[in-house]
Amino acid sequence: MKDSPSFDHRPDPELGVALRAALESSGDQSAFVARVMAQYQSALERETIPTLDVLASWFRPGIAAAAAALFVGFLFGRAVLAPAPASIDAAMAPSEGPGLAALVTAQDPPDASVVFTSLVEPQ
Amino acid sequence: MERYAGQARRVARAVLGDPDDADDAAQDGFLSALVKLGQYDARRPFGPWLMRIVANAATDRRRRRNVRRVEPLDPSLVGGGPRPDAAAIRNELGDRLRSALAELPERRRTAVVLFDVEGYSHAEIAGILGIPEGTVRSEVFHGRRRLRTLLADWKEQTR
Repeated sequence: MKDSPSFDHRPDPELGVALRAALESSGDQSAFVARVMAQYQSALERETIPTLDVLASWFRPGIAAAAAALFVGFLFGRAVLAPAPASIDAAMAPSEGPGLAALVTAQDPPDASVVFTSLVEPQ
Repeated sequence: MERYAGQARRVARAVLGDPDDADDAAQDGFLSALVKLGQYDARRPFGPWLMRIVANAATDRRRRRNVRRVEPLDPSLVGGGPRPDAAAIRNELGDRLRSALAELPERRRTAVVLFDVEGYSHAEIAGILGIPEGTVRSEVFHGRRRLRTLLADWKEQTR
């Protein structure tokens, strides 16, 4: 043991041995290691969830998501596949009845019923 | 793990004092290290990395609990009476060292134990305790001075 008050860069073996003996636990080292490993194993088991449980937890949200996707797809498909007029002439072509054509070609101010008919008349 | 178990228990005991609390803290440290093993940089030494986790676990435990402090030595054990046998002398020294350690600030006693008992360098202890290397040197110096005085007195008495 050194009595030098200066900073020492080397461990003091005598003090080290005495401190080691004072801090040594009385319990068996291998029992301690076994206890830690048992704790670790049980922690691992708590963390591990069976695969089927994971799949089951996905089932209901998956079904709901698939149904929503189908519905959105149906709406989108219907909008895209609806027949559109081939040209502006086709769109403006007079249809049967006293509708838009009658309104456009009339010499006199139209009757209110004609205006309403042209608005609701299908193209 | 076998290799570091004793070291972890001693370091935890240096922080906590109580051996049962120390074992619990060492266990917490090992479990935490096993969980964080993926974060360990294999290019660096394993011991300081593990001891940092263990020391932190012990400090956390000390903060969470009101740790039972080491009882001061019964004055009747020092001097007088029939001469005790060798084992009793060793036990007495252990008691006195533990009492002296308990009187030191936590960082100081941990630094002394890591340096003189476990053989870590000042730089490694700085990494373990998260303090500058110069502070480690100062802590080791002051901690040693107290413990060396106690050890010298004890040697005088047992001559």
